[in-house]
Amino acid sequence: MTPYAKIFVILAAVPVLLLACKGPVESTQLIVDTDACTGCGECVEVCPYGAIEVIDGDAVIDPSLCHFCYRCVEQCPEGAIY
Amino acid sequence: MIRKTLPLLLLLPALVFAVTLDGWMDVQTGGDSLSPEPGRLELGGMLGTENWVLILEEQYSYEDTSGIVPKFLNTYSQTDIDLIVNAGPVTINPDLCWTVDLGDKPEMVLPVQAGVAYREGFIRPGLSLAADISEDFLLFASGFYWNRDLKQEDGYDLAWTEFRVNGGISCETQGFTLTMSGLHHKTKSDFIDYESTWGRFDIALSTEPQSLPANFYVTGDVTYSFYDGTNFLGNDLSDRFTSRIRLVRMIIPSLAVNTTFESVFDYDGVIRLACTSAESRILYRFMRSREVPSVITLSGKLSTSSIRTERAALFSRINFYRGLSLLLNAEARSTPTSIAGAGDTRKRIMFGPGLEYQLGSTLRVWGIIEQERTDLEEVEVWWRVRTGLEFYPGSLSF
Repeated sequence: MTPYAKIFVILAAVPVLLLACKGPVESTQLIVDTDACTGCGECVEVCPYGAIEVIDGDAVIDPSLCHFCYRCVEQCPEGAIY
Repeated sequence: MIRKTLPLLLLLPALVFAVTLDGWMDVQTGGDSLSPEPGRLELGGMLGTENWVLILEEQYSYEDTSGIVPKFLNTYSQTDIDLIVNAGPVTINPDLCWTVDLGDKPEMVLPVQAGVAYREGFIRPGLSLAADISEDFLLFASGFYWNRDLKQEDGYDLAWTEFRVNGGISCETQGFTLTMSGLHHKTKSDFIDYESTWGRFDIALSTEPQSLPANFYVTGDVTYSFYDGTNFLGNDLSDRFTSRIRLVRMIIPSLAVNTTFESVFDYDGVIRLACTSAESRILYRFMRSREVPSVITLSGKLSTSSIRTERAALFSRINFYRGLSLLLNAEARSTPTSIAGAGDTRKRIMFGPGLEYQLGSTLRVWGIIEQERTDLEEVEVWWRVRTGLEFYPGSLSF
C-alpha cells in the first residue's frame, strides 16, 4: 500500500471508529445495508407494522410506517439493519 | 388454411431459435425446540432469447409462531412473474407479484391506528423502464401498485393500497457516477380514512478510482436525500446525508481484507449524527486447486445509531474429499431485543459444525448443527439444525 493510500485509510477510519464507539445517537430512520442484505425476507415476516418489503432483492423500510420496535434488527441473519 | 399456417410454421423455428431455458430450486429448513419447523422452498424458471426474458419464481414459506422472537406469519406462497424486453436502447420490465396465505392463521399486522388486522395476501403489479440515451446517460423509472388484503378481526376490509413511483437519470464518466432520482410513495386506506404520502429526492455521487496501486480497490459514494413527509408520530422526516467508503486490499492472492465505513447525518435545521458503522472482513482462500476451494472468513461489524449492534463471525469451509467439505460457523451478536425480561439488549453466541456436498455448479447440499446461547433473564441454550439444498440443472438451448 502506498503512503497516500495509508493516510487515506487512516483519515477515513479514525473519525468513524471514534464516533462508532461514542454510543447511541439520535436517529430518525433505520438503515438497510444493501450490500449485506440477501433479500431473505425474515425482516418482513417479523415486522408487526407491515413496514418492510423486499423490492428488487433488498429490504426496503417505509419510514412512515416504521415504529422502531427493532424486531427486524434482532431477526436479520446478516446484521444488515441498524 | 394452409396458406395461413405455412408462414407461421416456417417462422416458428426462427422464433424459437436460440431460446434458452433455465431452472433452479432452493430448499432451506431447520429449527430448534422453540421454533420447530421453519422452512422455505423456492422454484424458479427462466425462458428467453437475446431480446426478451420471462422469469417465473414460486416461493413457499412456513414460519411457526412459537419462536422466542414472535413471528406473525404462518404459511404462504408467493409468485413473481417478470418479463424483460430489450428493444434497442430501451428495456421494459413489467412484473406481477402476489402472495396467497395457505395457513389457518393469517399474518397479523398493526397498520397504524387500525388496531390489529390480518393480512391474507397481496397483489403487486409493477413496471420498470430504462433507456440508454447515450453512452454515458441512463434514464430509468419504475413503479408499482400494491394492494394488501388487510382485514380486521370482525372481517372489515381496510382496503389498504400503496402506490410507489420513482425515476431519475444517471451519468457515468471517468470513474464517477452521478445519479439524480425522485421517489413518491402513497399509502391509503379508505376504511379507516388513512392517507400518508412521502417523497424523496436523491443526489448521489459514487466513484471507483481506476488508477490505484495493484491489488487495491476502493469504492466510495455520497448521497444527499431530501425528504418530504412524516413518520408514524407525525414528525417531519429529516433530510439525510449518507457517505460510505469501501476498501479492498488483496495482501497476497489468497488473502483479502475488505473494510467498509459508513456515516449518516440527519438535517432538519440542525445537523445531527444519525449513524456510524464500520465493518471488516478477512477472506482467506486455500487449497484452490481442489474441486471446491477452501475458505475461512473472519468478520466484525459495529454500528451505532439510536441503537447499537455488534457482530463478530467466523465461517470456514474445508474441502476434504472431492465435493465434500467440512463447515464451521461461529457468530456472536449483540442487538436490541423485544423479548420480555431480556433487558435492552440480546447477547447471543452461535456455534456449530456442518457438512456440505457440492457437485460442480449443479447441486449443493448442506447441513449445520448449531448451538445458540442467548442471555435472557438467564442464559438459555438450545440446539438447532439447519439444512439446505440448491439445485441448478443448467441451461437448455433449442
